[in-house]
Amino acid sequence: MTPFEIGLLALAGMGLLVFFGLYVSIALMLCSFFGVWAIRGSADLAGTLLALAANDTLASYHFGVVPLFVLMGFIVSETGMGRDAYDVANAVFRRVRGGLGVGTVGANAVFAAITGISIASAAVFTKIAIPQMLRHGYTRRFAVGVVAGSSVLGMLIPPSLLLILYGVLTEQSIGHLFIAGVGPGLLLALIFGLGVVAAATLMPNRVQPQQSREFDAISASDMLAKGLPIAVLIGFVLGGIYLGWFTPVEAGAMGAIGALVIGLVKRRLSFAGFRKVLVETGLVTAAVCFLIIAAQMYSRMLAFSGLPAGFGALAADAQLGLWGILAIYVVAVILLGMILDSSSIMLVLVPLMLPVLQPFDVDLIWFGIVTVIAIEIGLLTPPFGISVYVIKSTLDDPSITLGDIFAGAAPFALMMLVVLGLVLAFPAIAVGLL
Amino acid sequence: MKALLRVLDGATEALNLLGSVLIVGLMVLIGADVIGRGIFASPIPGVPEMVSLSIVAIVFLQAPAALRAGRLTRSDAILTRIIRANPRAARWLESAMDLAAIAVIAVIFNATLPLFQRSWVRNDFVGAIGDFTAPTWPVKFVILVGTGVLVFQFAARILRRHMRAQNDPV
Repeated sequence: MTPFEIGLLALAGMGLLVFFGLYVSIALMLCSFFGVWAIRGSADLAGTLLALAANDTLASYHFGVVPLFVLMGFIVSETGMGRDAYDVANAVFRRVRGGLGVGTVGANAVFAAITGISIASAAVFTKIAIPQMLRHGYTRRFAVGVVAGSSVLGMLIPPSLLLILYGVLTEQSIGHLFIAGVGPGLLLALIFGLGVVAAATLMPNRVQPQQSREFDAISASDMLAKGLPIAVLIGFVLGGIYLGWFTPVEAGAMGAIGALVIGLVKRRLSFAGFRKVLVETGLVTAAVCFLIIAAQMYSRMLAFSGLPAGFGALAADAQLGLWGILAIYVVAVILLGMILDSSSIMLVLVPLMLPVLQPFDVDLIWFGIVTVIAIEIGLLTPPFGISVYVIKSTLDDPSITLGDIFAGAAPFALMMLVVLGLVLAFPAIAVGLL
Repeated sequence: MKALLRVLDGATEALNLLGSVLIVGLMVLIGADVIGRGIFASPIPGVPEMVSLSIVAIVFLQAPAALRAGRLTRSDAILTRIIRANPRAARWLESAMDLAAIAVIAVIFNATLPLFQRSWVRNDFVGAIGDFTAPTWPVKFVILVGTGVLVFQFAARILRRHMRAQNDPV
């Protein structure tokens, strides 16, 4: 067998193992080990390759961003800043049709700017926003759909764990990726908001059959007390990166410290709460970084097999052109999103794609944003959209089925597709701020 | 057997705690560096080196706990269906996958051993002499400990699964 065929076989084997429920990281390690063993004919060499990847992959200053931004995100959730963002956003959109829906989108966009994990957004807003919307006569399907749809803003609006992953994977500047995520993130939030208003106006039966306008107005000082800390934190972290005060790693640490200070001043962070935050941070960091290590082993195996170069040659022979390749890529990402979580998709597909894209001289920052949007669409589509499952398990309400959530999220997936098209057609939306 | 499993879980939790302390340490260290540099114009030497060493340690200290807490990434939609259709087959399938995991983690442990020995014997370090240096062997040691405990946690999964099955035959 040629190395190329061995590589294909390893890829297929990996897919099969993941499909049957083997841990993604273990599946990547196994297929790398056997792949290199088969290509080079030495189990010792294959083992050494794994050990070197385990030892060296993470040994870089830049990986400090992962635990620090995750820590910041969990502190922010624990101290109830999600609820604050939600109150402020609702006060702002109180007079709009479908106001609570728009408020959820807005709160998610704001919350996304202080946390980098979609799952955190989905969990927080499932608890806060869904009961509130149901109380005010919104339909179940709409309420869960808004939360599922807008939770994806967390991965696009910086800081974002997914952009960090992409940055370390492709050796692009994480700061630049963050800034490139702002435009598409805001555009997506805007389109979501308009979509909600349009739906509430044009088909009220599907959104809010019984109108009720008993919103708890909040005072200006209350709004300031709730909104200002969040605004300061956002300005501090993103402004600090943009103005070059901080490296992304430092911004993560300072953001975590800032969130901690806010939590202590507001007396919202107990010792027990902080311990819980630390444990969660550790578990998420370990899961993500373990995946990164495994993906490094996998991409070294790919290099041995020559698979990416082979794909590149195939793509060149097929005269697909950049747009043909991107179309296939986006479809593949969305399909994978149906069975895998976002970080796994990125770590599996991006190393395969980079060599294919090389001859086209693509802006890799732009490509990163495209990748993240496409991945997040996959997370909203059946049968295995991960965000939807998080909402289902957080909700713990048997009367709302998975089918409801998928149906409610479908319009949001469509709107994301539109934004993806816009970013593909007008790269300036993403890279214009750089 | 149950006592052994408890010891294993205790060790896993201790490693998790140590990893959490390291994360807080990382935050404080970088914060102090930024403030020291910005206000007192005196940065802390060796921060990038310490960050790069501790992030590796953090991950391997926490990995066993992540496995124990069911947080390592997997796609269990198909598996859930197999469990529903045929619990006994699902049990054996899962145990076979755990065995595969044990094998591949053991390979990493074995291949890290010589790296640790070399780092220990040669007293390898990172940083620049005269400014800041840190030895690399502690991190390699943590990788050995982490992968070691990980192997036992995978074995414990198999043990628990079949112990449960015996008490509660399908």
